[in-house]
Amino acid sequence: MPTALSSTEAGATSRSPGHLAAARRAVVDVGILFRFRKQAVRRRHLARMLSLVFLGITSGAAIVPAFVPGARGPGRAFDILLLVPSGMAAILVLTMASAIASGGGRELISRDHAGPHPVSPTTDHLGALLLAPLNIAWMVQAWILLGSVAFVTPLPHLFFAQVAMLLWMTFSTVAGQVIAWSVEAIRRAPFGIAVTRTLLGCVGLGAAIVQMSGKTTELLDHVPTVWVFVGAVDGFTWRWADTVGLLLGASVVLIVLGALPAHLAARRMPRDEARMETEQHEPRSMPSSVLGVLIRTDRASVWRSVPMRRGVLVLAVGPGLVALFGDLQWQQMTILPGLVASGGALLFGINAWCLDGRGALWRENLPAPATALFDARTWVLAEFLGVASLITVLVGALRAGLPNAEQLAALVATLIVVTLQVVGAALRWSLKHPYPVDLRSARATPAPPAAMVGYSARLATCTTFTGLIFSGCAHVPNWRLSLLVAMPCVLWSAARLARTRRRWEDPVIRSVVVSTVAA
Amino acid sequence: MNQAPVVDVRDLHVRFGDVEAVTGIDLEAYAGQATALLGRNGAGKSTTMRVLAGVVPPSSGTITIAGLDIRRETLAVKQLVGYCPDVGGLVPRATPWEHLQLSAKLRRLTGWEDRARDLLGRFELGDAMNRVTGGFSHGMGRRLSVVLAAMHEPQVLLLDEPFDGVDPIGVEATFEVIADARARGATILLSTHLRDLAVQACGTALVLRGGSRVAAVDAEDMAGEEGARAYRALLD
Repeated sequence: MPTALSSTEAGATSRSPGHLAAARRAVVDVGILFRFRKQAVRRRHLARMLSLVFLGITSGAAIVPAFVPGARGPGRAFDILLLVPSGMAAILVLTMASAIASGGGRELISRDHAGPHPVSPTTDHLGALLLAPLNIAWMVQAWILLGSVAFVTPLPHLFFAQVAMLLWMTFSTVAGQVIAWSVEAIRRAPFGIAVTRTLLGCVGLGAAIVQMSGKTTELLDHVPTVWVFVGAVDGFTWRWADTVGLLLGASVVLIVLGALPAHLAARRMPRDEARMETEQHEPRSMPSSVLGVLIRTDRASVWRSVPMRRGVLVLAVGPGLVALFGDLQWQQMTILPGLVASGGALLFGINAWCLDGRGALWRENLPAPATALFDARTWVLAEFLGVASLITVLVGALRAGLPNAEQLAALVATLIVVTLQVVGAALRWSLKHPYPVDLRSARATPAPPAAMVGYSARLATCTTFTGLIFSGCAHVPNWRLSLLVAMPCVLWSAARLARTRRRWEDPVIRSVVVSTVAA
Repeated sequence: MNQAPVVDVRDLHVRFGDVEAVTGIDLEAYAGQATALLGRNGAGKSTTMRVLAGVVPPSSGTITIAGLDIRRETLAVKQLVGYCPDVGGLVPRATPWEHLQLSAKLRRLTGWEDRARDLLGRFELGDAMNRVTGGFSHGMGRRLSVVLAAMHEPQVLLLDEPFDGVDPIGVEATFEVIADARARGATILLSTHLRDLAVQACGTALVLRGGSRVAAVDAEDMAGEEGARAYRALLD
């Protein structure tokens, strides 16, 4: 997003206001841009309601589990107590992975819109930090952490423990952002893509070696988060003050430090995007059918997009690796396809017509039935989500042995049902709320941040529920049950998809979508 | 004029919610003729073009293209029309050749490759035909949009701001495309802000203001200093 050496840049010009003044200006600029984005929120009452719901759930997660039977007990609570430090470490790793995959986090204002304005990399860095929590994955992690801590912490210490946990979330987000900017700066340097791939490969290899040598538990017992957690639940003591002070100080230092790699990255050309835009794609023979040629065009739009390639890689492999290292059983694996499909839809599906960008006007003028365009887009989206889910399941299944008929039927049914659910919902929303988005940048998202939260929450809720139902079915010793349960779900989703297809045929609705995404 | 108009627009209205973008335009365009649509920003030129391209449905009015009602026979109209949209008009992650393949397949063209290569060459896009259009400059994008509109030798050629940001070679190539289309009897509608270029390319000019037509004149009357004064008077 940064566009120029701006007034917020120390040393940019002879009128440079100095580092401190530049930082102050950057903070002010973030406020200006945030208000600008806020003005563009279409359904403000809904946004306000969602904010209240978020606060309600967060408060609930931080308090309610403390009063659940079994809290602070020797059984389940003790098991969770042992797992919290590992969970904290996992949050740190996930926020890093998420920020790295999105090339430095989200943009407060898109690169195109920022073009004419002097937006500094510091502003961009702070804006990305501000937007990081507007992500259902981040929220769910925060709720799980707060809930777990509430369940295991003595009541008089709860408030102080939760303060420390909120600071841990802040620290993780900031650290993830700094790492992401650093990786992005390296990736944009000469041979940067090869260097980052080698680095990520080494990290993956290291994790695999630790796992295969059976030392994962030993390693997790020694992660520094144990020290943080012990300090957090110690009550209002010097030890707690030490922990909180350290987290707070480290977060502030990292926020400041993050501006350095952000500036470095901003000065370099985004190589992934440049390579994608200058690469030669040799002509291939023409598909035999009209649908074939439409599908091929849509497929190219998906797989030649940097955010989609990176996103689907993280989505497909990440949860699979978690399942693999966590030794997930077949019955539990029904949760994975829904999560992956939901995440995949958030890469472009929820605003599926934006794939054509400004070419939408030209495509709409082509003499193809509207239904053919719809069918091609549906197919490509389903294929994208299906392939990602399948890879996740295959990776996760490496240690799970052979499934029995019930487990296999439940998993296949889940794959089909959640793919249909997500495709149906995504195309419905694409028609109802199109946005003009250029998915060129690795940091681009198909809808504004607030809308993304709403979409991701709805998708995650629906698909997790479906996954849990089929997880239950996998325990019943009759494989036909999963198919029987899947049948009405498939019919319902198919009927809704058919209704969206009929709406797409309406030229007035279509023209609004086309004009919007091409704007 | 004895022949029937190929493009016949009667009392066209286009509304987007509370905004009326076009407020009763009448327009006739004939085979072998190039007609310029002139006017200020927001005059309704691009919206009219989008309606004629079958991209935006009219709110009311009658529009026929080669005798086909655009509301009822939209697909057949799209077969006859070549459209260069005002903004972008290109799928960002497809190459020019893939755009041409898509257009050719949907129009059931055969043996189109030589003409496509020739057009890409004339617009100096031959070297870029296998690169995705997302990396194109604005001018390259405009030139490719004209190629895509003209490739299938449409009966009606709709060019919306084809000269915008285009270099002299591109402008010249676009003039050639318009001249070729006129020579084979196609109807051309050209929307532009550039009065001088419109005068060079077209025989007739329609001036739009506030969503309706305010004048229909010979393009020659818009030429030179006097034409500029007359045009300005029509805009105010």
